[in-house]
Amino acid sequence: MKSIWIIAKLSVLENSRKQVFHVLCLLILAVIAGSTLLSVFTEGVKIKMLKDLCMSCILFAGAVLSIGLAAGGVPNDVENRVVYPILARPIMRWQYVCGKFLGTVMTVGLAILALSVVFGVLIYYNQGQIDTFLLTAASFALLEATVIAAVATALSTATTPAIAVLLSFLMYLLGSIKIGYLSKLLDRVPDSLAKTGGMMFYHLLPNLECFNLKAALVHNNSVPISYLALVIFYGVCYAAFALAVAALIFKRREV
Amino acid sequence: MTLPIRTENLSKVYKLPGKQPRRALNSLSIEVPEGVIFGFLGPNGAGKTTTIKILLDFIRPTFGIANLFGQPTHDPSVRRLVGYLPEQPYFHRFLKPAELLSLHASLCGMSSREVRNAVADALEQVGMNEYADTPIGKLSKGLTQRVGIAQALVGNPKLLILDEPTSGLDPIGRRHIRDLLIKLKQEGRTIFLSSHLLGEVESLCDIVAVVKNGSLVTCGRPEQICSATTYLKVYTAPARSDDIERLQFLNAHIECRADATIFRTEPGNAYELFRALDQLGLRLIKVETERESLEEAFLRLAA
Repeated sequence: MKSIWIIAKLSVLENSRKQVFHVLCLLILAVIAGSTLLSVFTEGVKIKMLKDLCMSCILFAGAVLSIGLAAGGVPNDVENRVVYPILARPIMRWQYVCGKFLGTVMTVGLAILALSVVFGVLIYYNQGQIDTFLLTAASFALLEATVIAAVATALSTATTPAIAVLLSFLMYLLGSIKIGYLSKLLDRVPDSLAKTGGMMFYHLLPNLECFNLKAALVHNNSVPISYLALVIFYGVCYAAFALAVAALIFKRREV
Repeated sequence: MTLPIRTENLSKVYKLPGKQPRRALNSLSIEVPEGVIFGFLGPNGAGKTTTIKILLDFIRPTFGIANLFGQPTHDPSVRRLVGYLPEQPYFHRFLKPAELLSLHASLCGMSSREVRNAVADALEQVGMNEYADTPIGKLSKGLTQRVGIAQALVGNPKLLILDEPTSGLDPIGRRHIRDLLIKLKQEGRTIFLSSHLLGEVESLCDIVAVVKNGSLVTCGRPEQICSATTYLKVYTAPARSDDIERLQFLNAHIECRADATIFRTEPGNAYELFRALDQLGLRLIKVETERESLEEAFLRLAA
């Protein structure tokens, strides 16, 4: 565990130098600027739109950062040869992959935390009270980012960073419409080899919709604890599976 | 006694899609005894880096065995005994030398107190104390190389695998590292040294192996490799260019200097050389014999 933690810390330091936080500052400024335009709406609508804007921003930032950082993490280290002195130490390849992944999740976590704090203050300023559910929704956005980062890490160990980014974005888009649209689309396809292949792909694809608690936040709906627990279990299992695949591929890879 | 490095029939074939398979190593068998400096020589593409990569489990052999201290190279625990300096070391540029060494010491499983001592010790050994807190990206190539050596020394390894350790260093830095390697050897460590600086290898190494096209050409003490041929060096008064032209048929290396012309050839060609010089009326200054240097032996074996 110590080796994973050391590599994760190094990865966070490395990620923080990739101008990630500049992008976040731009996002925050965009949302704050956008919030001033909402004054034309009635108070209730304004708050709902503000929460929608903030949560969309957190989800988007989480996805973009996790893909951007995870897809490049391992292959860039191999390409820049910084991986050699580290792998020459008594560590296992899977520890290296897990360390890089953990570093990505920690960086994204810091970014989501920063966004949540700023947006929490913004909502408090407009609503007059603290919305604690924002923290829950942001935590599930981080869980979604964790799943995306795990898949991006697995893809990055098998392909080039550019292809890994492309495939990860595709996975993110399809995973975000899996239940709502993709399942209905597959129902319309007649039974054939294409449908079988499509169903296999469908089941492999992560269901990213389940992590999105934006609607509950906007409409002040309560979410059952059992559902949240199930989503956490699903997210952790999916990320662990993707990470195991990443570790297996990287173990066999020649660097 | 377990050998620090032992390879047996080590072979590596790179298969690239759409291209002919390339054999980088071909049944390479070497044994590196404990407490020696082992020079690993070969021209570019001979298989030196491939061998090192197999020893550190960065790549796997297609065939054959590679062991470190009697353990297979894919066992990570054996790397606790190994320090590695890659060719042209690349590190995270934002890290400071002290941070980098601390990271590597931690990866070796040291406690925080041991880490502090190991970092201070390694920096001291390579004379980098004053640059301990300068980001690596701001250091010169030579200083980065020293950081790389310090990194290899962290963890008190019994075996050091050094790929071009003096590359990029100035003469003082080279001397410093050479003295350090001798000191490390005296402490009982084994050093596996891949270098192109043959004079350095000759003066430092106890055993030298020469590889070519992935195969072992020769392996032994430098004097065993070099002693086979002794050269004759004949100094004459400066020869005119047309005389030099006439002497081109001789199997001799001719060096023209302002004060003399030097003919260097094997002793078997002596009669023919002296007869030709006599015919041209070139005044003989002196004759000496010269042992083949490792560089010449290397060129003879690896060319």
